[in-house]
Amino acid sequence: MMTTPIIEIQNLTKRFDQKDVLNGVDLTIEQGQVVGLLGTNGSGKTTLIKCLLGLLKTTSGTCSIFGEDAWDLSAQAKSRLGYVSQEFAVLPWLTVQAATEYIGAFYEHWDHQLVSRLLAEWDLDIKQRVGVLSVGQRQKLAVILAMGHRPELLILDEPVASLDPLARRRFLQSLIDFTEDEKHTILFSTHITSDLERIASHVGMLREGEMGYWGEMDSLKNQVKRLRIHAKEFLPATMNIPGTIRCHVDGEHALVTVSEMDSETVNNISTRLEAKVSVEDLNLEEIFLELSGISSEYETAGASR
Amino acid sequence: MTITPRQFEVQPSSGVPIYLQIVEQVNALVVGGHLQSGEMLPSVRQMAAELSVNHMTISKAYSRLEASGVVERVRGKGMMLKESPITGTLKNRQSQLQPLMEQAVIRARQLGLNDTQILAVLKTVLQEMQ
Repeated sequence: MMTTPIIEIQNLTKRFDQKDVLNGVDLTIEQGQVVGLLGTNGSGKTTLIKCLLGLLKTTSGTCSIFGEDAWDLSAQAKSRLGYVSQEFAVLPWLTVQAATEYIGAFYEHWDHQLVSRLLAEWDLDIKQRVGVLSVGQRQKLAVILAMGHRPELLILDEPVASLDPLARRRFLQSLIDFTEDEKHTILFSTHITSDLERIASHVGMLREGEMGYWGEMDSLKNQVKRLRIHAKEFLPATMNIPGTIRCHVDGEHALVTVSEMDSETVNNISTRLEAKVSVEDLNLEEIFLELSGISSEYETAGASR
Repeated sequence: MTITPRQFEVQPSSGVPIYLQIVEQVNALVVGGHLQSGEMLPSVRQMAAELSVNHMTISKAYSRLEASGVVERVRGKGMMLKESPITGTLKNRQSQLQPLMEQAVIRARQLGLNDTQILAVLKTVLQEMQ
């Protein structure tokens, strides 16, 4: 059976003042996926989210949520999604309690019980005024307010940036509960890879306005590997290894990061170069640095010093 | 003795996918005799909550274990450890073990161990896993 994807972005381009912030991005997110959107500062994460929600008009290409065009979302579609932006603003003179009631009044199905439970679990004082909350506390409140109507799709733009480790763990736990039935979908942007590793089923990596990688977290970790090569003789500068992301040759030793590891590749290299090849696992942060080209830039800078 | 999620430890920031870490740990518990046939694995829900990882990750690990015949799904109860399946002729089973042994011997030679020294290590391992 074909189901409509929860999110579908096709060939999205967004230009600000002649500069392409997003350049032909495609992204399809199905129900139940927990998607982490990674990217360096300025790679276009927030712009992508805003185009997707119809908060920014796309220069070209299309974005749709629940099969509806993002620029023209119906009230019904909006009631099925929750969004936490980076710039969170709730009337500062309201108390936490009043703010939850105020926001809750906009929704037909507001889960008071869930909201009270989360407020307690996340140590928010319901009598405090929103205006005096710390950045971290305000972020927690924003997430709770976005979850209060139990949306089918939750979109979070850097939700944990200001949270301390304990609060982040509680936040992750809530997201895990949220997705337990595998019907709820989450898209969240972050640059904290360790959070993403725990809960994301899929990863998208934005690089200079393009989707540098998109796929399952597990496949990413299974495929991107670092090969450590030791030969008896000097190795050639280019080794023509399929899927090479980065190659660093130093005499008879070489370090090669590849994007499509399989045992055949390793066997081929070791026979072709008469070398010993060991395969090293990379965690998400290392993969992110490799794929975004930061590792090689760093290395070049180091070498020229 | 029942197995609890606390007996598992996942390292999200390792290069090994979390579901594989869980698969490997269950296998290790079985091989080490800490898990016996008929015992139940913790529910997906318990594991996800305790380890703070996505439910799908646990489900994936359990499905892999089911596919490889380590556990079976019992309706309404969860995942139960299966009797370790001993199939095939003795010769066949020995030949399955051979490549693993070859790897160990290669490493042992690299370390400069002689036959007696290698057998001593094997003996210790065999005793530990009795």
